[in-house]
Amino acid sequence: MTASDPCFLSVAEAAALIAAKRLSPVELVRAYLARIERLDGTLHAYVRVLPDEALAAAHAAEAETAAGRHRGPLHGIPIGLKDIYDTAGVATEGGSKLCLGRIPPADATTTRLLKQAGVILLGKLTTWEFAIGGTAFDTPFPPARNPWNTERDPAGSSSGSGAAVAAGLCAMAMGSDTGGSIRWPAAWCGLAGLKPTYGRVSRAGIMPLSFSLDHAGPLTWTVEDAAIVLQAIAGHDPGDPGSADRTVPDYRAALASADLKGVRLGIARGMFERDCPASGAMGAAFDAAVEVLRRLGASIAEIELPPLALYNATASLITRSEGFAIHEKTLRERPQDYGALARDRLTIGAYVRASDMVQAMRRRLMLIEATEAAMAGFDAILLPTCPDPAPVLGELGPYFDNRRPCHYATVSTTAGCRCRCRSSAAISTRRRYCASAMPTSGRHSGASAGRSCEEGAYSAVTLVKSWYQLCAG
Amino acid sequence: MADNIEDRFAVETELLGLKLLPGQEANLRAAYGVLREAVALVGTDYPFEAEPAHVFAPAPDWASRR
Repeated sequence: MTASDPCFLSVAEAAALIAAKRLSPVELVRAYLARIERLDGTLHAYVRVLPDEALAAAHAAEAETAAGRHRGPLHGIPIGLKDIYDTAGVATEGGSKLCLGRIPPADATTTRLLKQAGVILLGKLTTWEFAIGGTAFDTPFPPARNPWNTERDPAGSSSGSGAAVAAGLCAMAMGSDTGGSIRWPAAWCGLAGLKPTYGRVSRAGIMPLSFSLDHAGPLTWTVEDAAIVLQAIAGHDPGDPGSADRTVPDYRAALASADLKGVRLGIARGMFERDCPASGAMGAAFDAAVEVLRRLGASIAEIELPPLALYNATASLITRSEGFAIHEKTLRERPQDYGALARDRLTIGAYVRASDMVQAMRRRLMLIEATEAAMAGFDAILLPTCPDPAPVLGELGPYFDNRRPCHYATVSTTAGCRCRCRSSAAISTRRRYCASAMPTSGRHSGASAGRSCEEGAYSAVTLVKSWYQLCAG
Repeated sequence: MADNIEDRFAVETELLGLKLLPGQEANLRAAYGVLREAVALVGTDYPFEAEPAHVFAPAPDWASRR
């Protein structure tokens, strides 16, 4: 990576240069394609690259700019989509043998909105099989690797999305998050990952895993970039029964001020010190971030939430049950065509009894109410994203532990769904603030790369702003 | 109902009519243990007045927020 490498411009930076006609979308796409060609044989972030289509779209974007038709901050920005986002005429296979050759007739709503905003689709990105299968070696596509250390796991299920952005293989990537699948890879890949409030972004045309817990959102270098993307994809969609009809605010404007005076933050310390103790490095990084926030003027106090295991258990029963409902027919008819991890993780949902599911739904409502009560007087909750750094690829356990999960993200997913929670948005930001997986310096293997991160205060501010305002709706 | 978790798993597998592939049974049995722990954590001891009929509401009502 060099300081002038266009592949490591943020979306906002690239957008400004494109708008000023100082950066050509065509050259930008060529730079990304060259980098993909050079590195993706190792990283496996992409399952399908679309060079011809991307270059054609780049030429069109350039022509539009020349003609004075600039679409906004995503005009000419090269992106990748997790391969569960439908793309008209382009295979969308969900990382599964079951869907090989599946070519959707129409774009997902989010795909369409992003295209309307001017993005250029570089290709489709690696996903855990059906967004649940884990880091698998028995599916049609090899697992993505972490660009910071290619021996390590990038997390999932938006594994290719995290790897692609972190390696400079696209400017932004879309992922999906049912229990933490945007925020977890964002943490281990050193990115910002945004799970919007439930109902804010349409899931229509995205392969489902759990109807009441699925979310769509971006992985980006900065929170500002996440705001730019959210602006383009937020809004009511009749095609998604969970979509909310509510005015979309100006997210980017909320980031303009660096002042945190009056912002009230609650630290759920019991979660990562008692319920599931974070490793020393993660805890230290989190504490350092909290001090930055305090110096910037935020008022900080500790809050107590229900036990982490309760959030995890509740989300697990709901996800397993809904996932099995979606996959039961194919699990019974073609079980051999699933990878072992996806097959097992989905099949176990058959053992969730109807009464178990109902109790989980009741418990979910109580967790929502308890979380809201705990948050009274606070603007946001602060937590590390993960208790531990990324393990070697393939060493993630086959099943998530109720008491020691790989991340704390399930808290906001479980407590944020449905209609009662004021705002369920959550964001993971990179290094020093969310306990990312690996050090920011060193451990850069041959394929690794990343932006410098001497922007502590900025990231700290945007972290809070994102919870406080950016995602409030 | 079978007494131990292994027997319960076997009984439920048969009742569900699941045809497990070779090697799948051991993995699922382990997962079944985690699942039953989740069920126990979620619990069943809810007071009647906590019955949340609106849990089953189909769509978010954002107007009630804030």
